[in-house]
Amino acid sequence: MKMKVKKVILKNESGIHARPASEIVKIASKYQSTINLIANGKQINAKSILNIMSAGIKSSSEIEIQCDGIDEEMAIQELETAFNNNFGEQ
Amino acid sequence: MIKGKGISKGVGFGKVLIVEKQDRKIKKEIAENIEKELQRFKIALEEVQKDIEETMEKSSGTEKEIMTAYLMLVQDPTLTIETENLIKNSKYNAEYATEEGFDKIVKMFEKIEDNYMAERARDIKDIKNKIIAKLFNEDNINLSQLPEKTIIVAKELTTSDTAKLDFKNVSGIITEIGGVNSHTAIMARTHSIPFITEIYKITEVFNDVEYIGMNGSNGEIYLNPSKDEENKLLEIQRKIFEENNELEKYKNIETITKDGFKVELLSNIGIPSDINKVLDCTAEGIGLFRTEFLYMDSKQMPTEEEQFFAYKEVAEKMQGKPVIIRTLDVGGDKEIKYLNLPKEENPFLGYRAIRLCLDNIEMFKIQIRAILKASAYGNVFIMIPMISSIEELRRTKEIVEQCKNELNEKNIPYKKDIKLGIMVEIPSTAIMAEKFAKECDFFSIGTNDLIQYTVAVERGNEKIAGLYSKYHPAVIKLIKCTIDGAHKEGIFCGMCGEVAGDSKFIPLLIGMGLDEFSMNSNKVLQTRKLITQLDRNECEKLVQEVINMTSSQEVKDRMEKFKK
Repeated sequence: MKMKVKKVILKNESGIHARPASEIVKIASKYQSTINLIANGKQINAKSILNIMSAGIKSSSEIEIQCDGIDEEMAIQELETAFNNNFGEQ
Repeated sequence: MIKGKGISKGVGFGKVLIVEKQDRKIKKEIAENIEKELQRFKIALEEVQKDIEETMEKSSGTEKEIMTAYLMLVQDPTLTIETENLIKNSKYNAEYATEEGFDKIVKMFEKIEDNYMAERARDIKDIKNKIIAKLFNEDNINLSQLPEKTIIVAKELTTSDTAKLDFKNVSGIITEIGGVNSHTAIMARTHSIPFITEIYKITEVFNDVEYIGMNGSNGEIYLNPSKDEENKLLEIQRKIFEENNELEKYKNIETITKDGFKVELLSNIGIPSDINKVLDCTAEGIGLFRTEFLYMDSKQMPTEEEQFFAYKEVAEKMQGKPVIIRTLDVGGDKEIKYLNLPKEENPFLGYRAIRLCLDNIEMFKIQIRAILKASAYGNVFIMIPMISSIEELRRTKEIVEQCKNELNEKNIPYKKDIKLGIMVEIPSTAIMAEKFAKECDFFSIGTNDLIQYTVAVERGNEKIAGLYSKYHPAVIKLIKCTIDGAHKEGIFCGMCGEVAGDSKFIPLLIGMGLDEFSMNSNKVLQTRKLITQLDRNECEKLVQEVINMTSSQEVKDRMEKFKK
């Protein structure tokens, strides 16, 4: 089994708060693949806003995106773009 | 008759409905039928999800973003795994399982040392309480479907309770706790529903009362009113109705004096949703859009995007009419945690407004860029508060230019000829108005601060409240000096303080040639009516007389005697 993995840095100054968290869930939920984020050694389900918010990911943390499933290629691309664009914030 | 504090005008009659929050005891029980317990929990959860979804659909802007995350939270399967397991494995009843299951998550959030996460813990508690209330069948009072002519009586009515109200069937609201500026009061005024607060031991007072009449103008409540009392209230109601009907005639017309002098009549707003009242009273624009709400209601510095959306929403809805956005106006008297403002002995003479912004340029630029970007969507103006020296104005203009260049580089559109003006609220600026007028595009006089700085009386200090007078001859002279200074350089001069909507003061301001009046939306129509009845020549004569007076009392007497 091979899955797609990419590393990104969280640019958002205030860490992952309500808006970025809901953006991640919105994107992840569109795909059938299993999508996890790995941050500070914790595995976080990207389709669960509760999981993401309670992980308390701080600004400039390194995050690994893992996508596994039939649409993993598309999913990982969209998530990577969202992180790199800082979820549409400046 | 009992008396409280009226915070929304009007007369109402109706049947009392007491909305009470109950204390409930959650007992731990062992369920006999696990499937049934699970089903009960799922139904309660679905009902809560549906309620939140409905509230979200009704909201807009920042509120909508918050509600979207809130909805996702309540739809997240992870949120309920623990509760469901407690029902399945420990055979707990749904109420107890919810209490225990959610508390575990709350504790997890509380452990994260972050103010923002502590707030989320509160959200989860709130969701928990909503589910438990459903399980207890508590909300059999459906606020969104009320019988005709209901008077709502409650210790306190939350914003979300009020938002749900079936307004067409509400004839009044009475509470124990509630402020003039609470969202509940604002909504009551928008819907012209009388609202009285500060009635103590409220549920006891109204326990055996069926029918009441109330007058929101003076705070009087009649329990089971007599025929005489009812007739008296009906007479007041009829008068209010006639006045409102009369004011309807002044909608959608220009504001022109009898002898043809046209002025602009604008509204002051504090949050984007105030715009509904602005459109309803047909104000000719927004003379003061306070931006503090973005900073005060937030746990962190509002982002450029959040600000842009709030400004853009207002600019678009005003469809080309002026929208004057005032940059951040706070100081040490307001607590905004993330700004870390030091407590000061004299916050009104201290580190505040433009002084704070020029010392925190990166923060200031975020706001300026957001305003500039929004200017592509309407007729936006920038207004700077608390200017006391020309250097501050010049420095601000440099920063605005820098922001424009940044947007140019990124090809982001904005209104190239956006107007930049200043609040005139410090005597030094009023005296130097003519010089300032050479270097900015407009003035807006902030009378509340101008008065307190001129007579050296703090507005909130009751011991010296008698010295705070808008009729002080020095205040009158400073206002005139400001208007004259603006006109000498051909720029317009407005006013956005309380005085602009004061019927006794308006003739004087017309006489001085004030170009723009900005006030609360609920004063716009009566002001338009007053101005259309004025004769500018008469008003000018009034100015000639008043400007030479010596005492506040003389000025006050003369202005009260003025006949239109």
